[in-house]
Amino acid sequence: MRISDLVKMGLKNLSRRKARTALTVIGVIIGTISIVVMISIGLGMNQSFNKFVMELGSLTMVTIEQNTWVQDDDDEYSGKVVVQKLDDNLVETLKQVKHVKAVSPIWQAQAELQTSGKAENNVQIIAVDFDYLDDLGLADVSYGTMPTADEKNKIIIGGRVMEQFYKPSNWNYTPIEVDPAKEKIFMTFQNWEYSTEKEMKKQLLKDFCVLEATASYTNYDWSIIVDVSYYKELYTKWSKNLKLTDQKSAMKKLKEYSSIQVIVDNVKNVKDVQKKIDELGVKSTSLSSTLEPMKETSNMLQMVLGGVGAVAMIVSAISIANTMIMSIYERTKEIGVMKVLGCVITDIKKLFLFEAGSIGAIGGIIGVLISYFLSYLINRFGGPVFAGLMSGSGMLGGEDATYSLIPFWLPVLAVAFAFFVGVFSGYYPARRATKISAIEAMKSEG
Amino acid sequence: MEQNGEKVIEVKNVKKVYRMGRERILAVDDVSFEIYKGEFCCLLGTSGSGKSTLLNLMAGIEKLSTGQIIIKGKNIHKMSEKGLAKFRQRYLGFVFQSYNLINSMTALENVELPLVFKKVRPRSREKMAREMLTSVGLGKRMRHRPKEMSGGQQQRVGIARAFVAKPEIVFADEPTGNLDTRTTKEVMNIIKDIAKKNNQTIVMVTHDRSLAQYADKIIHILDGKIQEVEVVDREEICEVNAAEAAQQPEVKAVTVEEAISKLNQEQENIKEQVEIL
Repeated sequence: MRISDLVKMGLKNLSRRKARTALTVIGVIIGTISIVVMISIGLGMNQSFNKFVMELGSLTMVTIEQNTWVQDDDDEYSGKVVVQKLDDNLVETLKQVKHVKAVSPIWQAQAELQTSGKAENNVQIIAVDFDYLDDLGLADVSYGTMPTADEKNKIIIGGRVMEQFYKPSNWNYTPIEVDPAKEKIFMTFQNWEYSTEKEMKKQLLKDFCVLEATASYTNYDWSIIVDVSYYKELYTKWSKNLKLTDQKSAMKKLKEYSSIQVIVDNVKNVKDVQKKIDELGVKSTSLSSTLEPMKETSNMLQMVLGGVGAVAMIVSAISIANTMIMSIYERTKEIGVMKVLGCVITDIKKLFLFEAGSIGAIGGIIGVLISYFLSYLINRFGGPVFAGLMSGSGMLGGEDATYSLIPFWLPVLAVAFAFFVGVFSGYYPARRATKISAIEAMKSEG
Repeated sequence: MEQNGEKVIEVKNVKKVYRMGRERILAVDDVSFEIYKGEFCCLLGTSGSGKSTLLNLMAGIEKLSTGQIIIKGKNIHKMSEKGLAKFRQRYLGFVFQSYNLINSMTALENVELPLVFKKVRPRSREKMAREMLTSVGLGKRMRHRPKEMSGGQQQRVGIARAFVAKPEIVFADEPTGNLDTRTTKEVMNIIKDIAKKNNQTIVMVTHDRSLAQYADKIIHILDGKIQEVEVVDREEICEVNAAEAAQQPEVKAVTVEEAISKLNQEQENIKEQVEIL
C-alpha cells in the first residue's frame, strides 16, 4: 500500500467510530496534560529558585553570624540568640578546613547618611573583602561602576537606599528619593553607644556606585558596602573623635567580626564544610541548607504530579490497546478479506499501528494545547496555592513569579511521547491482527 | 485443444487432514488434476465433499497437509506470506458466496481495494474501477454502500473487485449461492463474458449442477476424492448458451448433457415453484 492510502484508510477507520476514538483520545489528553503540567511546574520552580539564588548570593557560600538564632532538633527557631566569637583565630582555622576556597570576614555597623539637601537615612554598613565581591551575588549597577579589586576605597550603595531618605523636620517620614548625580552624600557611624562632646566629623562620599533595587528585597538593598581595609580606615578615623575611654571599646570592636563568609569550592561540598564548622562549635547558615527543604517540597510536588501523569499515561495506553483490540474483533472479517485480496501483512500491521499512533498523537496535540492554557491559569491564579505549599519561604511570592514554564521543546517532546505510547500500545493488537487466519476471519460475522 | 495449452494450475496428490478433537477428518484425499489457461473449471459436489477446502488450498488460504499445488509454475505453499500476498495481487482474483464486501466502503472503493494493495496510483485505479463497475452494469451505483444494494448488485461489485486487477485466475466459491435463479444467470453470464474476453482462467466451486453448464471442465468431487472429470466441448456450450439466451432469457434449464438434463430440469422446476410461493 502507498503511505497516502494507509493514512487515508487509517483516519477513515478512526472516524468510523467517533465516540470510541474520542473517549480514547480523552485518556491520552489527560495523560499528556498531567505530564506537561508537571514538567512545566518543575521547570518554572527551578527558574524561580535560580532567580532567587542569583539575587541572594552564591550557593557556595556559608555564612557564620555573630548573633545566631538557636535552632532545636526539628530546625525550628526557639527564639534564643547565641553570641559567637568571630575573631582572626577562627578565620585562620576556617581557612584550614578542607574544600574551603576563601574566608571573608565581615563587619557590620550602623551608619548615618546625610545629603547636602539635609535629608537623612540610617543604613547598615557592611565591610567585606572586595576580592570576593563576586560571591555576594550583588545586583547590577544603576549609577557609576562596580569597583574592581584594586578600587578598595570605593563605596557601593544598595538599591533601595537612595529612595528611602527623609527629612528629620518632617514628622511623617515621607520618603524622599535622592539623585546621586545631583546631591552630595556624607556618611558617619552612629554613635548612640558612646557619649560625645563634639560634633562628629562627616565623611564625604566621593567615589561610589549605586546598585539596582532587587525584586526580592535582599539585605544589601538597604546597606552600603565597603572594603574591609577602607572600613578599618574610616572606623579608626571616626573613633578618634570619641572620648578616650570610648575609643578603646570602640577599637575593640575591630577585633571581632560581625560575620564571616566561607566560600566553598563546590556546591556539593557545602554540606561537608558546614558539618566541619559545626564541629568547631560554630553555627553557620548557607543558602543551600535553606533551599533544601524548599527543593524537597518542590521535588515532592513534581513526584506527585509525575505519578499522576504516569498513571494517566499507563491507563490511556491500556485504553488504546483495548480500543485497538475491540477494533480488530469488529474488523476481523475485513482483515480476512484484505489478506485474501493480496494485502501484505506488514501493511495490515502498519495500518493498525498508524491508527493507534494517531490516537496518541491527536491526544498529545490537544493535551499540549490545553496544557498551555492551564499553564497560563497557574501563573495567573496559582500564587496562593504555591505560597501555601512552600510555607516558610516568602521568596516565591512576587507578582511576576513563574510557577509553570513551557519551553519550546516540551510540546514537541510531549506529542512525540504520546505518539510513541500509542504505537507501543497498538503493537500487540497489530500483531494479533496479522496473525488472524484469513479463512477463519472470512467466516466470522461483521 | 485445451490440453495443449499452458498449464496454469497443477494439483498433485493433495491431501488435507483436519483435526476435530481426537478425530481426524480427511477433507481432501489424494487429489490430482490440471487446469489450463482460459479454462472454466467447475468443482462440483455436495456440501461437505471437500470442494471448498480444495479451492481454499488452491488459493493458498489454507495450508496443505501433503502434496503440491503449482500455480503459474510456482509452488504456492512454499512461498512466504509476503510473497503469497504479492502473488495474489498479481495473479489471483476472488469471488465469494457471501460477497465479503467491506461495508464501510462504497462500491467504487471496494472495487479499488485490490489496486490499493497493488500500489496503483489513485487516479488510474479509480478509472479502472469505474470501467469495471460499468461493465458489470453498476455504472450508476458507484457511490452506494453494500448495505444499500441488492444481493445481485453486491455480487456484481464482488465480481468487479475480482476482475479489476486483470488477474489470470479467478477463484469463485459458490458465487451464486445466495442469489435467486434469475440473478444467478446474470451473474454467471457476467463472469463468463469477462473471463472469455480476457482469456482468464476461472475455478468455480458449486453444488448446483445447473451451473456446471457454464464450465469447460467439470470435476465431480465426493468425500474428498475426484469421482469423475468431464471435459465439455466448449463451442457446443457456447452455441447452446447463445441460443438459449436469445430465445428465453428467463429461467429455464439448459441441457448440456443428456445424463444430467433431467435432473437439472427438476431442480429448476422446484426452485421456480418455491419462488412463486
